[in-house]
Amino acid sequence: MNSKDFIKLNNDMREKLSEENKEIYEDMLVYIRLNGNKSEQQTEEVLFELLEHLLEAQKEGKTARDVFGHNLRKYCDELIAEIPGEKQSFALLFGAYIVIYFLGILSTFHGIANFVLHQFFDVGSNDFTFSIGSGITVVIIDLVILSGFILIILRWLRNSTFKEKKPKKWVEFLQLWFISMIFIGATVLVPIIMPSFGSEITIPVLFFAVIGVLLFLISFVLNKKFRITK
Amino acid sequence: MSLRSQLLKGVLEGCILSVINRQSTYGYELSLRLQEYGLSDVSEGSIYPILLRLQKENLIEGTMQKSELGPKRKYYHLTEDGENALREFMEQWENIKLPVDNIINKGGETR
Repeated sequence: MNSKDFIKLNNDMREKLSEENKEIYEDMLVYIRLNGNKSEQQTEEVLFELLEHLLEAQKEGKTARDVFGHNLRKYCDELIAEIPGEKQSFALLFGAYIVIYFLGILSTFHGIANFVLHQFFDVGSNDFTFSIGSGITVVIIDLVILSGFILIILRWLRNSTFKEKKPKKWVEFLQLWFISMIFIGATVLVPIIMPSFGSEITIPVLFFAVIGVLLFLISFVLNKKFRITK
Repeated sequence: MSLRSQLLKGVLEGCILSVINRQSTYGYELSLRLQEYGLSDVSEGSIYPILLRLQKENLIEGTMQKSELGPKRKYYHLTEDGENALREFMEQWENIKLPVDNIINKGGETR
């Protein structure tokens, strides 16, 4: 069974947990899944075992705290320490997938938005002129910002587990909204403030959309072939 | 980690290897077996970090099998390395059990 099969099975079986056990188990699940660079296969296998154990124990009237102890974070840390690391090749593949996917989105929207603006609102032009040097720099900086964003979101999720008192939904929403705004703002700001250097080239804006769709296709094929997210 | 918990962990590892050696089993059943043998102080969840470590050290292997009642479970069995490790554990335990018992008992008798 592949890790994705375990995730599906886990999703179905989790529904059989009592309210209290489910809340604790899902905290453990989030905390252990966001453990950094550990083998996804081994992570999902052990999560599945913990779930089965908890379901059996629940039949005997035991709670998650009876089974896993009262210091859940410490227990999870012990587990994580024993999970083998992810294979480097898969980690690289996963990184490449995210980069290609992100560039695909950026390029497609850039192309389509400029095309629509020009065709229907007569804003801008059908051609896009940029300098190669600053163009590449912008893309690299945006990728760095993206990885920072992902790391912050992961840390935020991890910190949201094992809270005695659950914070209010709107507070969590505002926090995430704020983080996302800064990310989007920074991504957009970089090309605006970047001084242009290197030789200039001009290409039709629709060309960006074509490249974007191509990148999408590549990420789709990668995902199909190596089961990265499904 | 304190020496005390080190010792307990080592012993528990040996016990788990021994139970799995007798019959291939899955996590929940393993914890029941250990409790039946009287290791009731060991919290149920504490077997899972050990199972992970034993897998990492290639002493046990897990395979997904359908149990009689339906749900799929991860059944563990010993590898060749695991059998050797178990034999080693049993020898070491044999060597340490008697002396420790003697020391403790004699120690109690001193005036």
